[in-house]
Amino acid sequence: MTKEEKPEEPADSNVWKKSMDGDKETSLDPYGLYRAWLKSVGEAQEQIKPSSMKMFDLKEVWQQWFEATTAAWQSAAEKGADPLGLTTQWSEMMEEARAKISAEGTIAADPFTLFKQWYDATSETWSKAVGDIIGSDRFMQMASQFLESYTSFARTFHRASEEYFSNLQLPTRSDIARVAELVINVEEKVDQLDLAFEGLEDTYAQSTTSEAIAGLAGRLDGVENKLDVLPAVLQKLATVERLEMRLDRVENRLDQLLLALEKIEATPQAVRSTNSTRKSPGPRSGSTKGQAGKAKV
Amino acid sequence: MSQGSTTPSDFESTFQKYQTGMEIILEGAKAETGKTPKEVIWTKNKAKLYHYEPTAENEFPVPILLVYALINRPYVLDLMPGNSLVEYLVGRGFDVYMLDWGTPGDEDKHLSFEHYVLDYIPQAVRKLLKHSHAEEFTLMGYCMGGTMTAMYAALFPGKPLRNLLLLTAPIDFTPDEMGLFGLWTSEKYFNPDRIVEAFGNVPGDFIDTGNRMVKPVTNYVGSYVTMWDRILQGKSMDTWLAMNKWVNDGVPFPGEAFRQWIREFYQQNKLVKGAIKLRGRQVDLAHITCPLLSIAGKKDHICTLPQAEAIMHLVSSQDKEFYTLDAGHVGLLTGSDAKRGLWPKLDSWLELRSK
Repeated sequence: MTKEEKPEEPADSNVWKKSMDGDKETSLDPYGLYRAWLKSVGEAQEQIKPSSMKMFDLKEVWQQWFEATTAAWQSAAEKGADPLGLTTQWSEMMEEARAKISAEGTIAADPFTLFKQWYDATSETWSKAVGDIIGSDRFMQMASQFLESYTSFARTFHRASEEYFSNLQLPTRSDIARVAELVINVEEKVDQLDLAFEGLEDTYAQSTTSEAIAGLAGRLDGVENKLDVLPAVLQKLATVERLEMRLDRVENRLDQLLLALEKIEATPQAVRSTNSTRKSPGPRSGSTKGQAGKAKV
Repeated sequence: MSQGSTTPSDFESTFQKYQTGMEIILEGAKAETGKTPKEVIWTKNKAKLYHYEPTAENEFPVPILLVYALINRPYVLDLMPGNSLVEYLVGRGFDVYMLDWGTPGDEDKHLSFEHYVLDYIPQAVRKLLKHSHAEEFTLMGYCMGGTMTAMYAALFPGKPLRNLLLLTAPIDFTPDEMGLFGLWTSEKYFNPDRIVEAFGNVPGDFIDTGNRMVKPVTNYVGSYVTMWDRILQGKSMDTWLAMNKWVNDGVPFPGEAFRQWIREFYQQNKLVKGAIKLRGRQVDLAHITCPLLSIAGKKDHICTLPQAEAIMHLVSSQDKEFYTLDAGHVGLLTGSDAKRGLWPKLDSWLELRSK
């Protein structure tokens, strides 16, 4: 038989065979197995495409699957491996789901749609059943016992690992955690310093502001006091001005008098008349004396 | 698709979709999350305080501080462009800050609520006020972050705290009000000391499993049914991928804080009794006087309605409101329902109280 004549292996068997080949990717990548499987699935698609795939009756296939599955669960329940009654409930529900889906008369071609049909048909019942179980004292007793065993194991394993690595003079997680704690303590001290500085900054800023405000207020008071004094000063100034004006007017009159006297002195009658006038004292003696002096000359 | 029969072209398409789905299941969901531009303005140990760059004119002088829980990561509040609470608030002109607790290491197993409520949050508040030059701020806590912010508000009432906003924040831990958590965390079955002694910090997967087991069929099966359904129907996978990434992105829960959370809150319900003491300081929720808005989801199984509503009867605030949405614990924050429900509600409430 030539290579070309070799009969095609079923696509699904190829998928598994290739995924188990164990190439490098599989061994290096933790997800390698499923990646290889998905790759094989892709190749299987290529094989399916050109082939003339036979149509098959899904309803029949699923009926078979249901029967096989329920039989397996029922068998497990009968063997006593179902302390919580979970399997029995599951089997009953499977029957119920089969009845519901069959009653609809339509079965989806792809497994996911079918699964959704199944989920929609059963989820409510299933949720209630599970809820009843996990909310029971019996379940809690089992869970509590499991948790106790598990934590005891974890504690023992942890202690043993610590001792083992200590004996090997290798640092453990606890050692690293201790170092980290020291770092956190240092950070905590830096935080406290930061907080203290912030407090100082705030206090300083606050006191500076208070001083500045007090200074400004003082200066403002001074300005206000000065403003209060100003009207009085201005009033005094006006009085002085008025006095000056009056003095000016008096001076002007005296000047006029002086002129008049000079004119009188120019004539003999006037001189006589002036002499008689000099006998009476005037308000501005200085000026009068001057005039008198002039008159003697 | 044909019924009862299939063709090669159907198979080809199905294989491709199957490949896409299998890659998501086996390699985990990959999505760009937390993309709103931000800067780190302060760090303390693993915690970071982010400031989101404003994209609109700052219309409100009161900045918002978001405080997230110690479970999973805070980027659920800034899930992805177009589907982000943070992006929405920033776009509405709010000045937004977020406190991210980071990923605790083994060295952080001693961290307790004393550290978070009395050290981390107050320091973050100081930095926020200094950075924003604001005199007051709004505190918004999500889930356990809401419980923590309520405790902060009780211990530091008055200025600078202007408003308190709680999103699905459990306050009352009466077993009958907590659904399955009431049973699972009961002293009869659950001893937190054993977990803390065994692991130091409680692994993220452990916490995640606990949360998922409240609705196991929905969380373990339904979620992937939705995924396959979307893939098969050729619908956008962006939001599903982002949410799935977040759900599987758990961080360890600091051991001492976990011990307190289970013992003092879940098992002894001390918060509503006013019996929580942090470094000797009693946490009395009656000291809260600021405006309060508490929002809860009717379908929330992690923080049930009565758990969240309890605070309304304990605070002294005159301006207080309890608002419910027809959503679950996380669905309340993102997606089309959030855009129609939570976001506009927050906006309208904050707008009136942030001037």
